[in-house]
Amino acid sequence: MKKILIACSAALFMMSCGGPEGGYQAKEGDETAEKPTIEEYDPHRGEGKFKDYQPSAALNASMAESGEKVYDLKCASCHKLSAEMLVGPGWKGVTERHSPDWILNFMTNTDAMLDKDPKAQAMLEICMVRMPNQNLSDDDAKDIFEFMRKNDGVK
Amino acid sequence: MKRMIIPVLSLTTAIFLLGITGCKPKNAGSAAAGDAASRVYVAPGKYDEVYNFVSGGFSGQVTVYGLPSGRLLRTIPVFSNDPQTGYGYSENTIPMLNTSHGFVPWDDQHHLEISQTNGETDGRWLFANANNTPRIARIDLTTFRTAEIIEIPNSAGNHSSPFITENTEYVVAGTRFSVPMDNDNGDVPIDTYKKNFKGTVSFIKVDPNSGNMDIAFQILLPGVNFDLSHAGKGPSHGWFFFSCYNSEQAHTLLEVNASKRDKDFIMAVNWKKAEEYLKQGRGQKQKVKYAHNVYSDDTHQATSTIKDEVIMLDATQFPDLVYAMPCPKSPHGCDVDPTGEYIVGSGKLAALIPVFSFSKMTKAIEAKDFDGDYEGIPVLKYESVLHGEVQKPGLGPLHTEFDGKGNAYTSMFLSSEVVKWSIADLKVLDRAPTFYSTGHLMVVGGDSKKPYGKYLVAYNKITKDRYLPTGPELNQTAQLFDISGDKMKLLLDFPTAGEPHYAQAMPAEKIAAKSLKIYDLMKNKNPFVTMGEKESRVERKGNRVDVYLTMIRSHFSPDNIEGIKVGDEVYFHVTNLEQDWDLPHGFAIKGANNAELLVMPGETQTLKWVPEVSTIFPFYCTDFCSALHQEMQGYIRVSPKGSNVPISFSLGKNSDATVEPEASK
Amino acid sequence: MKTKHLSGLQKILVAVSAVMLVVVLFVPLWKILLYAPQYPEGLTLKMYPHKLGGDVEIVNGLNHYIGMKTLHTEDFIEFTVLPYIIAFFALFAIIVLLVNRRGLLNVLFYSFLLFGIVAMVDFYRWEYNYGNDLDPTAPIQVPGMSYTPPLIGYKELLNFQAYSWPDVGGILFFGAGLVLMGAVVLSWIDKRKKRI
Repeated sequence: MKKILIACSAALFMMSCGGPEGGYQAKEGDETAEKPTIEEYDPHRGEGKFKDYQPSAALNASMAESGEKVYDLKCASCHKLSAEMLVGPGWKGVTERHSPDWILNFMTNTDAMLDKDPKAQAMLEICMVRMPNQNLSDDDAKDIFEFMRKNDGVK
Repeated sequence: MKRMIIPVLSLTTAIFLLGITGCKPKNAGSAAAGDAASRVYVAPGKYDEVYNFVSGGFSGQVTVYGLPSGRLLRTIPVFSNDPQTGYGYSENTIPMLNTSHGFVPWDDQHHLEISQTNGETDGRWLFANANNTPRIARIDLTTFRTAEIIEIPNSAGNHSSPFITENTEYVVAGTRFSVPMDNDNGDVPIDTYKKNFKGTVSFIKVDPNSGNMDIAFQILLPGVNFDLSHAGKGPSHGWFFFSCYNSEQAHTLLEVNASKRDKDFIMAVNWKKAEEYLKQGRGQKQKVKYAHNVYSDDTHQATSTIKDEVIMLDATQFPDLVYAMPCPKSPHGCDVDPTGEYIVGSGKLAALIPVFSFSKMTKAIEAKDFDGDYEGIPVLKYESVLHGEVQKPGLGPLHTEFDGKGNAYTSMFLSSEVVKWSIADLKVLDRAPTFYSTGHLMVVGGDSKKPYGKYLVAYNKITKDRYLPTGPELNQTAQLFDISGDKMKLLLDFPTAGEPHYAQAMPAEKIAAKSLKIYDLMKNKNPFVTMGEKESRVERKGNRVDVYLTMIRSHFSPDNIEGIKVGDEVYFHVTNLEQDWDLPHGFAIKGANNAELLVMPGETQTLKWVPEVSTIFPFYCTDFCSALHQEMQGYIRVSPKGSNVPISFSLGKNSDATVEPEASK
Repeated sequence: MKTKHLSGLQKILVAVSAVMLVVVLFVPLWKILLYAPQYPEGLTLKMYPHKLGGDVEIVNGLNHYIGMKTLHTEDFIEFTVLPYIIAFFALFAIIVLLVNRRGLLNVLFYSFLLFGIVAMVDFYRWEYNYGNDLDPTAPIQVPGMSYTPPLIGYKELLNFQAYSWPDVGGILFFGAGLVLMGAVVLSWIDKRKKRI
């Protein structure tokens, strides 16, 4: 008799434990999908879409020009073109300090890199402000990179 | 023998005392369903299943809740200004609240309707009515912001609104107060009601792509009070049903004088016919004045246009345009079931619920089965259009919604309950008490062709002891029921804002997927946008000063401004340069007589400020934006009138001026 | 045996009933409790010998929906007469004590009983009148519905649950009657004992 009682109450308990059915889940919010695959983090490349990006040997002037426009709108609030730090580091020499992939990935995948990349984290300790995601398209990022190269004297 | 008397006496006393204690009724407190807690639990970080849009009544705003959790997601400013966002205070949004009576920064927001395609909620727009100064608003459900407001002329108290046709062809308005028409001489004695006061219903065309509203036509009707409405659907698409009361045409003490007649009416309007007459050019143009306000997401600026004409169709001149169906005792709710065949009228003073049949109605019209006319409107015979009556449903029936499974749910104000009944055989199936006195109720998608069902929310008028007391003023309360089974189950109580009337709800997917995250800075077409800090500046033209200000974590540019004088009209055009989701910056300046600005990423907003004393004024960011948020601030130097301090502005020039420059003296 | 006179116990009982009746003058006789969903805390009508008390104004506010007349103390002759009658019976009891005659005790008891019955009939009569004499133009009309509250006990009236019970005064009033009855019964017992 006791056993039956226990079984019944257990069944009841399990029924009452059923969570709500349905419920909207945005695809982005799916935590399991975002788990990175077990892969060595490459501090040279960073993490993101860009891999083995090869800029042309000579400067692409039109790209650099559009890059400057985006810089004025979205970057200049925090980055000077000299080596002086404003909110973020100055851009003088940036293309020599980091690989093209690293820069492009950091521009377009900022939050993930800030959470992972040792160099980015070291900069955050100095600057105290996480670089905002400025919603740059891949082309925007390449243009800005070209403008950085121009700023660093590539012709 | 004496010994007997004392036991007898004490026994009778005991019986009395028992009687006294025994007369206390059972506690009115309700038992929620046993698994209610797990049914409404949405774990942290998880999303609700349903968006629930709730009218704000006298708050003039719309609130958005998640169901089943009852969590408040957002308050959308619509008809009342909102100091926390700057809505109705910023130069960009002030035109939204313009009317033919000037700036009206408050209203009484009663009913909501989500746009529909093929009779199903499509989640593009949410329409909202203003009951006091007649208006209809359209809220864009990608931004959850008020995109458009149109004023309704020839109307007073826009109550039976903003109900829509099944493809959102039209959104309607019906006047609660009958009044003299705007174009007529309104300076008449009130007791000439019968002669001079008229009612109107308005059909407002909705552009299928942009959603923009435009009054297509109005129908002139007898002077009564129009109460609620719903469009026909499926077979009855092409018709609109309006409940009305005060067929007594009383103009004083309506409480008594408008409750005398045994039956009032549901007016059935054939709007397809109206379209034909309109095409034939048979409408009368009338001079009126009404405001049409549109907010542009490209320019981040609202514009208000005053329009001066409507087309009127006089129902008495078109005998097949409007028919009156007698409906017992001051009908309130007027609800059409998902099949479009049944129209439920809820006489708020009646002891039964009449259900009308659309097919019987069309037959009665063909057979001219009339019972005379009411002020020139043909009256159909009650028995000829009636599907049947729900007997003894409860007291004070108000509103009915549907679950798509053949059941109807009616709110009972007086007996404070929700009553479930079957449309086919009009039998009461279940009743659930509500706490207390339900006004509107809502089933998810409950007035569409395909209700989602599952949840029902009752919006109660009386709260009393349901929550911890908060003094004489209490928030109103809503109650969530599970209606998936045969019996309704109470799951949750939650307090609401303002005074909720009607509400709408739909599953979250469609709306959530389209929700906008930021305004694209590259597409910002505001005339006062500052595209990058390089362009931030201060310009003077006479006594008008334009400050082109940018914000990014965590500074303003410029943040030191000089050369402003007492009495200057200063316009701060504030652009948020951020492009990341959920990174608004606020802008507040000491002594501002209006409000703050809350500027979304990529957006430009303008606040007007007229300094009245010569001193240093601080300004700062109000929305905690980063670890250095408290550093996000600036100063404005205001000099006396006639001072010759030149306009200057800067960012990051930290110098110690031990000697004041010449110009400042 | 001086059977015409009151025994010691009888004197005590009559004295007790006199005191109870005096108290009745100051406390409510009857109460009607009304519960509705909108009034979870309940509405109370209290009938004192000289007035109506409790939530009279709120109840009157509700009455007009169904066309019931509003309640006013001045409309009832009862509230003028009742205190005097109760005071009279209290006085009568004291006189019985002073005169010390069993015959007069009987007169007191039977007249009190008669008064009690008349009072209840009267109470029912005005409850009935109020519940049925409705304004034909009232906003809410339920065919065949009357709103007579129960004389004693429970009844459902539309959305209200109505409970009618004696209050402290009513209990004391009945109690006084029972105590007097006890005194009368004692006389009977004495008579029977003598016969034996």
